[in-house]
Amino acid sequence: MLSEIALYGAVETGLIYGLVAFGIYISFRVLNFPDLTVDGSFPLGAAVAAILIIDGVNPWLATSAAIMAGMVAGAVTALLNVKLKILNLLASILTMIALYSVNLRIMGRPNIALLSEETVLTPWEELALPYYQIPVLLFSLITIVALVLLWRFMKSETGLAMRATGANPRMARAQGIATGAMIVLGVAISNGLVGLAGALFAQSQGAADVTMGVGVIVVGLASLIGGEAVITPTSVLKALLACVVGAIIYRLAIAFALNANFMGIQAQDLNLITAVLVTLAIVLPGVRNSVRARLTRNNA
Amino acid sequence: MISASNLKLTFGKGTPLENPALRDMSLTVNQGEFVTVIGSNGAGKSTFLNALAGEVMVDSGKIIVDDQDMTRLPTYKRAHRVARVFQDPLAGTCEGLSIEENLALAIKRGQRRGLSSAVKARHMDQFRASLATLELGLEDRLTDKMGLLSGGQRQAVSLLMASLTPSSILLLDEHTAALDPKTAAFVLELTEKIVSEQKLTTLMVTHSMKQALEVGTRTVMLHQGQVVFDIAGKDREGLTVKDLLSLFEQQRGIEITDDNLLLS
Repeated sequence: MLSEIALYGAVETGLIYGLVAFGIYISFRVLNFPDLTVDGSFPLGAAVAAILIIDGVNPWLATSAAIMAGMVAGAVTALLNVKLKILNLLASILTMIALYSVNLRIMGRPNIALLSEETVLTPWEELALPYYQIPVLLFSLITIVALVLLWRFMKSETGLAMRATGANPRMARAQGIATGAMIVLGVAISNGLVGLAGALFAQSQGAADVTMGVGVIVVGLASLIGGEAVITPTSVLKALLACVVGAIIYRLAIAFALNANFMGIQAQDLNLITAVLVTLAIVLPGVRNSVRARLTRNNA
Repeated sequence: MISASNLKLTFGKGTPLENPALRDMSLTVNQGEFVTVIGSNGAGKSTFLNALAGEVMVDSGKIIVDDQDMTRLPTYKRAHRVARVFQDPLAGTCEGLSIEENLALAIKRGQRRGLSSAVKARHMDQFRASLATLELGLEDRLTDKMGLLSGGQRQAVSLLMASLTPSSILLLDEHTAALDPKTAAFVLELTEKIVSEQKLTTLMVTHSMKQALEVGTRTVMLHQGQVVFDIAGKDREGLTVKDLLSLFEQQRGIEITDDNLLLS
């Protein structure tokens, strides 16, 4: 079974991917903009935070810089789409590919170790808590703050305009909403959150690596879709809660699969399991509905 | 007042599918006028409306609304003066948002949107009062999702949204065409009520000659991207569909063969 340390570890990573899922919720769900930039902006956030931290910059400042960098990356993707009319998916792939080089340039090498550096977690280590609980505590607080801010934003005039932009762009324009600007703002916020997640991931794992972004989009989508299967997102608040819950469930499921040793599953099977989980999460709600429809038809 | 002068627009220029939609079209609508626009398929009715709204850009010509040149402005920069209801009843509202959120979007049409809460308590009385005029019981369903409403109900709300804030011109693009006859009659009646109560300057495109003559204060007929005739006041009173057809034949020397126009 799962040890306490592995359990906390899964929740810790789950909280970080919850931030990624927030970002993916904004791009995929709110804006209807399939954005793969995240595979590049996640390591970008890690790279920016890591290089600044080893240069002696305050880790919170370094983390803020990572958010800004992520936002710029998102804005580039959105501008490629809005101004140059490149298909959204392709625009995001272009930025993602470009970011691989950018991240190598920023770090100057493929990876940076942060093991002995001061991170956002360092001041918390003085608390009388087991070392594996500290990141969970801090990341929970960050997640709550991000969730409340996003929730308030989505309920604001600008946030509502953003939701209309994704749901019905023609109607949004007719209401005087600058849909292009809304896409840029939304994709920027989305990737800012992913940059934050990357920065926190690097600090909690003790390293930034240029390859750490591979598959982040799939994990984020798995969290989003899995969460929506558990909590039906009938409101913005529920949709955001679903992101966090989905991410944590996903990481717990992975941890169980890898620890339980059943069916001979091993670490290298991680991506295969992810793909199966995502497929199930996408297909199961539909199956549930058709079964329910069949049952009611029989009863009628 | 809205004035469109010498509008020209050709789709697919330089291709085998080149299609001149507007050919030197001019029309001035005065304050408080309710103009119905009629014409067969391909006459340029929808293109004209889209050009006024900013959804398509004209190749040449001028569009002036209240002394402001809007010819080159994108849709969202015209929205403070131009209100619009689409033909598709699902197009004017967001089904994933609640009724009150849709109304909150509309009450800020063309204005700056900030970070304050979108659905405001001080708007609630106005929302409830205007929804109550529809007599559909929607005033008690403010938090219901728009997607739960029928097409007719959604079109009625779209109309309400378009008239929630003042506009220089209200564009109605065959907004009853996709509804069943009973609902269409309801939405048309509602249109006349709102337009006369608020004294809105209105341009309504319709496919039905009968409707074009019964509703509004002036009727304009388009053919091949131009205004072929324009009648108002005394000339228009008592005019029948038959009169309209012979008027058209006199002007053009051609017979109308579009069944849609004749039958509806």
